[in-house]
Amino acid sequence: MDDFISGLAEIFEVDDGDITPDFDLETHNWDSLAIVSVIALVDSCCGKLLNGRALAQCKTVSDIEALANQAEAA
Amino acid sequence: MATGKITAIASQFPEGVLTSDALAELYPGWPAAKIIEKTGIRERRICATNETALDLGEKAALKLLAETGTGAGEIDFVVFCTQTPDHALPGNAALLHRRLGLRPDCGVLDTGLGCSGFVYGLAVVEGLIATAAADCVLLVTGDTYSKFIHPMDRSVRTLFGDAAAATLVRRFENGDRAIGPFVFGADGRGAENIIVPAGGARLPAPANDVDPEPDEFGNVRGPANLYMNGAEVMAFALKTVPEAAARLMAKSDRSIGDYDLVVLHQASALLLDKLQRKLGVGDNRFVRRMESCGNTVSSTIPLALEPYLQDAGSSPRRALLVGFGVGYAWAAAEVVI
Repeated sequence: MDDFISGLAEIFEVDDGDITPDFDLETHNWDSLAIVSVIALVDSCCGKLLNGRALAQCKTVSDIEALANQAEAA
Repeated sequence: MATGKITAIASQFPEGVLTSDALAELYPGWPAAKIIEKTGIRERRICATNETALDLGEKAALKLLAETGTGAGEIDFVVFCTQTPDHALPGNAALLHRRLGLRPDCGVLDTGLGCSGFVYGLAVVEGLIATAAADCVLLVTGDTYSKFIHPMDRSVRTLFGDAAAATLVRRFENGDRAIGPFVFGADGRGAENIIVPAGGARLPAPANDVDPEPDEFGNVRGPANLYMNGAEVMAFALKTVPEAAARLMAKSDRSIGDYDLVVLHQASALLLDKLQRKLGVGDNRFVRRMESCGNTVSSTIPLALEPYLQDAGSSPRRALLVGFGVGYAWAAAEVVI
């Protein structure tokens, strides 16, 4: 989980402590590059492959976590 | 048994250069350092308006023949792999046949496929040689995706560069197999994730009044432009490439440690980093060549192999190749170079 948080912090160029469940993605460059990076991060940290289109619709970090929890193992 | 062997590779890039610094000036929020970190690409080589994959392929082939002292009359088959041919018809292979002045009894074949095209092309070449249909085959890969890319689509313009590579495969008798085995795969459900919708028979190239529009991320494209859903393609590759490598290793009864080189399609640094980790390959065996040319589609694997072919004094190297992308289609092969 620590790797997931620090990975998100790196992608969004913020401190680890800024990554909270309600962290707003759209105000932090939630673009195609960030989405691709999160796919790779969740695969590394959780061994799960997220659906790219569903991921693009996520609004907050908790949305990403919920999607990861639903995703099948890679 | 007769086997094909890759004896030489020569590449050709266009003169035009598109740096990450130049792209960063166009795309707010994407500084050059970020582009370079994620893509692994400092600059891409881009064709001039009147320059095509055929032009690059011809120069690569001429370079190959000159460097190896091979006469044009020795070539008895040409395979040209491209998704950016000069015309809807005839194909590039016949056009290259004319430009190189090849023999009338030299066969020609055009293939497409994009990022997996080199490995598929090798399979065709090995088939020609194994069946004694040809002894000396020229496999040319060349793509110029820059012609499909809208200037304001940063999702793809940061990645792709233009290039061609010419690979010479010769027949050897009674040698150990130097090309193969192969494994293949495809999943057409991914067709829309890497696509240029217009320009074929289904949707002819649009008239000039079709305006490209920005998508939800502000990337601009029209029906005749390249679209790639990077997230879906990333997920596809993370799943498929390790599986393809595993199938190949099972078929050849080898493990990843048996390969001197692991050469994957050079898609992006972000993807290659993850795949390298999944495959458990050290930096000394995991080949990369994209920093100064970008993702060159069908030519990434021969470009990555090229420096090793030029290292004439070295002992033979066993390489695992995996091409993957457009289609989706993928293929893995073992070669000894």
